[in-house]
Amino acid sequence: MGYEWDFAVVFRNYDLLLLGLVNTLKVTGLALLFGVPLGLLLALLRLYGNRAVRLPVGFVIEFLRTTPPIAQLFWFFFAMPILIGVEIDPFRASVLTFSLQSSAFFAEVFRGGIQSIDSGQWEAAKAIGMNRNQTLGRIILPQAVKRMIPAFLERAIELMKTTTLVSTISYADLLYQANSIAQSTYRTIEVFTVAAAMYFVVILACSIAVRRLEKRLARSGETVVN
Amino acid sequence: MDHNWDFASVLANKTLLLIGLKNTLVLGSVCLALGLFFGLFVGAARFSGKSWLYYPATAFVELFRNTPVLVQIMWFFFAFPIIAPFKIDAFTAATLGLTLNTVAFSSEIYRAGLQSIHKGQWEAGKALGMSYWQQMRRVVLPQAVRRMLPAFMNRAVELFKMTSLASVIAYGELMYQAKVVSTISFNPIEMYTSVALIFFLVLFPATILVRRFEARDTFRR
Repeated sequence: MGYEWDFAVVFRNYDLLLLGLVNTLKVTGLALLFGVPLGLLLALLRLYGNRAVRLPVGFVIEFLRTTPPIAQLFWFFFAMPILIGVEIDPFRASVLTFSLQSSAFFAEVFRGGIQSIDSGQWEAAKAIGMNRNQTLGRIILPQAVKRMIPAFLERAIELMKTTTLVSTISYADLLYQANSIAQSTYRTIEVFTVAAAMYFVVILACSIAVRRLEKRLARSGETVVN
Repeated sequence: MDHNWDFASVLANKTLLLIGLKNTLVLGSVCLALGLFFGLFVGAARFSGKSWLYYPATAFVELFRNTPVLVQIMWFFFAFPIIAPFKIDAFTAATLGLTLNTVAFSSEIYRAGLQSIHKGQWEAGKALGMSYWQQMRRVVLPQAVRRMLPAFMNRAVELFKMTSLASVIAYGELMYQAKVVSTISFNPIEMYTSVALIFFLVLFPATILVRRFEARDTFRR
């Protein structure tokens, strides 16, 4: 092939790549921070809201789940600012998009988890005089959350992979940094390969941790919700 | 807040959007067909238990499952042409990235499906004098594929959503067409809203279908 590989250029710019990785993790972390509680809220509304609430919430969840995240991101970055007349920077647009997007997926995980709890638990709580919110908070959710953990973490990994999209609106995540280093050094193949390897290492580590946890939870007698 | 919605500008460009939708469907279908086809072999390789098949197949699957698909597409578009002996356009790069990604994910579905079939089915096939691939094709796969169907359809929905990433490397699918039109006619709101709606209208029926299949399966078990 005759191509001379030269990774030295990449390693001279390792600080930029690391900064990109940190930014990737930052967006992922914030999206999780907002997305998980919002997902719980959406799930509860979809399960226990009245009809006027259930339908629109269901629609929002399905819409966010079946449209491409890049279309959502572009909508929030390019379209929404015109609509409400407020400038939004790439970072905020990213966090907003991925919080909402992941909340829809988390809502379904929560719903699956809550529905997987045997109805006897509800009846038992009712028998000792708990109302619905008490039952949810004290009996159902603590059991449901344990079952949801693997599905949850898998979703978080998916989310981290999806955040690479933020590079398309010029937020300096790992992929964006790689792209700009590639453009200034012409070492495209080395830079992209190293960036891919960095993603691989981080995500694989997470995947392995999830699989371990899954096995341990399975051993402790908990069925797993997907 | 006082934005005047102007969908006339979207309709005026509907030919461009339709071309985009067509390209989205072409890209998605090609990657789905190739991905499901090669996924079977990778899945079977991981299932076989022979270490010279298992380890390379596993390495491949882990590599493509644990890197973002956008990175894969960009790698095939920007990096791969440098060492590739042939020219790579946006369609080829997107097809490579998305297909290999689909191969990796679908191979796991095949593997799980194959594992769910009772060993007695293989043995019965063997007792009739069938070879490994005959047992696979005539006895095991027909049963396994039924169970795998919902998972495959989920994967297909994911894949069609992922085709929108090809817009990043300027392949003229729906998202890219919308981007181009919106910069010319200054209507990003209407354009991106329409794109989201189109994807929703195409993919939502598919997700309902998946749920039907899943419900039917649970019922039967």
